[in-house]
Amino acid sequence: MENTNKKRIGKLLSELSMPILLVALIIFFSIMSSNFLTAYNLTNILVQNVHVAVCSTAVMIIMISGGCDLSIGYQMSVAAVLVCKLLSTTQIPVALAVILAIVICSALGCFNGIMALKLKSHTMIVTLGTMAIFQGISYLISESKTYHNMPKAFMFIGQGKLFGAVPLNVIIMIIVVVAAGFVMSKTSIGRKVYAAGDNPEAGRLAGLNVSRIKVLSFTVAGVLVGISAVLLASRAGSADSSTGTGIEFTGITACVLSGVALKGGEGTLWKVIVAVFVLGVLSNGMQLINLGTYPQYIAKGVIMLVSLYLSNRNAEA
Amino acid sequence: MRNITKEYPGVKALNDVSISFEKGEVHALVGENGAGKSTFIKSITGAIRPTSGTIVFEGKEYPHLEPNQAIELGIAAVYQELVQFEAMSIADNIFMSEKSAGVMLNDKERCKRAAELLKIFDCDLDPRTLIRDLSIANRQIIELAKATVKKAKVVIMDEPTAAITVAEQEKLYKLVHKLKEDGVTVIYISHRLEELFEICDRVSILRDGQYVKTVGIEETSKNELIAYMVGRELTSTYPEKKPCTGEVLLEAEDLSGNGVEHISFKLHRGEILGFAGLVGAGRTELMHVIYGAAKKTAGSLRIRGEEQRFASPNDGMKAGVGLIPEDRKFQGCFIDKAIDWNIAISDLSELSDGIVMNSRKEDALAEEYKKKLRIKTPNLKQKVSGLSGGNQQKVVIAKSLAANPDILIFDEPTRGIDVGARHEIYVLMNELAEQGKGILMVSSDMEELLGMSERIIVLHEGKQTGELTRSEFDQKKILSYASGLTPEA
Repeated sequence: MENTNKKRIGKLLSELSMPILLVALIIFFSIMSSNFLTAYNLTNILVQNVHVAVCSTAVMIIMISGGCDLSIGYQMSVAAVLVCKLLSTTQIPVALAVILAIVICSALGCFNGIMALKLKSHTMIVTLGTMAIFQGISYLISESKTYHNMPKAFMFIGQGKLFGAVPLNVIIMIIVVVAAGFVMSKTSIGRKVYAAGDNPEAGRLAGLNVSRIKVLSFTVAGVLVGISAVLLASRAGSADSSTGTGIEFTGITACVLSGVALKGGEGTLWKVIVAVFVLGVLSNGMQLINLGTYPQYIAKGVIMLVSLYLSNRNAEA
Repeated sequence: MRNITKEYPGVKALNDVSISFEKGEVHALVGENGAGKSTFIKSITGAIRPTSGTIVFEGKEYPHLEPNQAIELGIAAVYQELVQFEAMSIADNIFMSEKSAGVMLNDKERCKRAAELLKIFDCDLDPRTLIRDLSIANRQIIELAKATVKKAKVVIMDEPTAAITVAEQEKLYKLVHKLKEDGVTVIYISHRLEELFEICDRVSILRDGQYVKTVGIEETSKNELIAYMVGRELTSTYPEKKPCTGEVLLEAEDLSGNGVEHISFKLHRGEILGFAGLVGAGRTELMHVIYGAAKKTAGSLRIRGEEQRFASPNDGMKAGVGLIPEDRKFQGCFIDKAIDWNIAISDLSELSDGIVMNSRKEDALAEEYKKKLRIKTPNLKQKVSGLSGGNQQKVVIAKSLAANPDILIFDEPTRGIDVGARHEIYVLMNELAEQGKGILMVSSDMEELLGMSERIIVLHEGKQTGELTRSEFDQKKILSYASGLTPEA
């Protein structure tokens, strides 16, 4: 009896490891810095991580389908640079620019999925290749320039507030995340994505079109990456070819921390989102307590290893 | 003379078990799945530590063994799922644990020695062959050769014949005899009771973690062993089945594809049609063509009189074919997912309103099949990996039935399933046939084929070599067809 109780507590701890870590970090930084627990700072953390959360959702979908996409950062870069260049040099309507960003990223995602399928290679290697291609495209578009002077309507997406208080981009994030969470956990499509990643051969023999599901996952993830690119560029008000790059690693980190299986088939969106904010609070807090850049790297790495240890230990218990 | 004694008072997995193994004997360990056989051998090889008890090896007492300690003592194990370096050569694998004289490896000499070793085992493979290119039987030989290099005194073999052909089995039996003559103790674990009578000296039976008995092989019979294993008498392994009288469900004519050629047969409603053959004869490949998992290249496949062209398993399912694949873990189910999740996966469109899953329908479906197939579990949200082999197989069957097929393909329906649970699978298959479904059964278990099928089709190297009706059933005949010979009249 005692044993099963212990097991249950262990399971609960591993289930809630991310929220617990988040609360612990918030308490820690609140004590360490008087500037941390203020409405201004908390809003800041939220607003700064909106695009990371949307992007991590994309990373999670791809990982659940059994893939891994290293090119996401440069997908964002291509979309952000193109949209900002068009907005600052032509009279293109804002709505059209936003749709363009989303369409481009979903096309790039779809391209990744099809390439992985045709080349019969692991998606991580394929996207290592496409990453270089997208990087080249991004610099060709940007001509190594930064594009400013965005129209007001575009800036409103990233900086505007509804009812004078609620940031619009946070609302967009909530809508996107809730929709993605619903599709993944409550629909037959989501179910198929989990199945394709968990055991592709069993999926195929159970009558699922596994290849199509995987390409679809990449494409849908591309849509999210496009949204993420718009959120980032509109908040910054500018874009160059480094916009968004490296974000795939933050996304993969958040996914792995929250227990998304590298081999596919496992993962829960709300945990990923909490993990994104764990990372967000961590870097914000460390800046507030004036930890140097290099110690910050070390602290991040240590926290990641410790939480991996905790979640694995509890999963085994 | 050596005695290995082990005790585990108070622990369920293995409760106070003491067995002694003598030098130079072949000692079988039998019991149903979960009886504690694996736990027992793992504590001998040092893979786990017993909670209490001692291991006595050549007169010396050990509270437990570390894996490298066990290796040094000369205990070697050939596991059911072989742990080998797949991308390395035979020679590399054999000498992996050998301490070399210097940093440099003398490849030429190692290959020569490996070849000599293999010759002892009647095996003329090139030592440079990569492990992944070998058959399972040959991989086992490599493991045995490895044990010889290490001068093993005890060799543990876990279900060595589960995945190899009849001819290969004979070879393996010879090797076991050879080991025995060299004074090696062989601990032999098997679900196939018949073979114990061919090669073993004594048998120890475990049941629910308890030691039941050790008997000399001459003093016992198969039925007695089964009775000890399950703790009761089994009336008959193969249940009675009504003969079929139904219409033709499926007709293959000159069917070719996926490595099989010119296969013709008819399957009737209510019939169980067996497929015999050696591993690699193309039985599974043929089933994949019938299911749509592989392409048909020539000939015709008619279901209920209609010509079929399957591009994917999905087409096969739509036409009413269901497959219970041979490899449960990798093809049959999603082992880390819940029972209800598995059952629902082939029937997602029926279980959802639009694209939104209807969890009430999903629960009802899982509950229905839990009752119908008598799946033993307290909770349908339980992961499949936590179930016994028999219940896992029932989940796979439920998953196929959920798509409502007319034709069911059972590929090795009872592989790795213990005696008691096998009977239940057989009863289930008969029930399905009596409900009017047609069943194609691929099996490497001769008794199962003879006991369950109405007719048997024999394949050899992708070609159909024989067809037998119930009155013609004869093990020898089937074997000679399977080996590509024409049986004597």
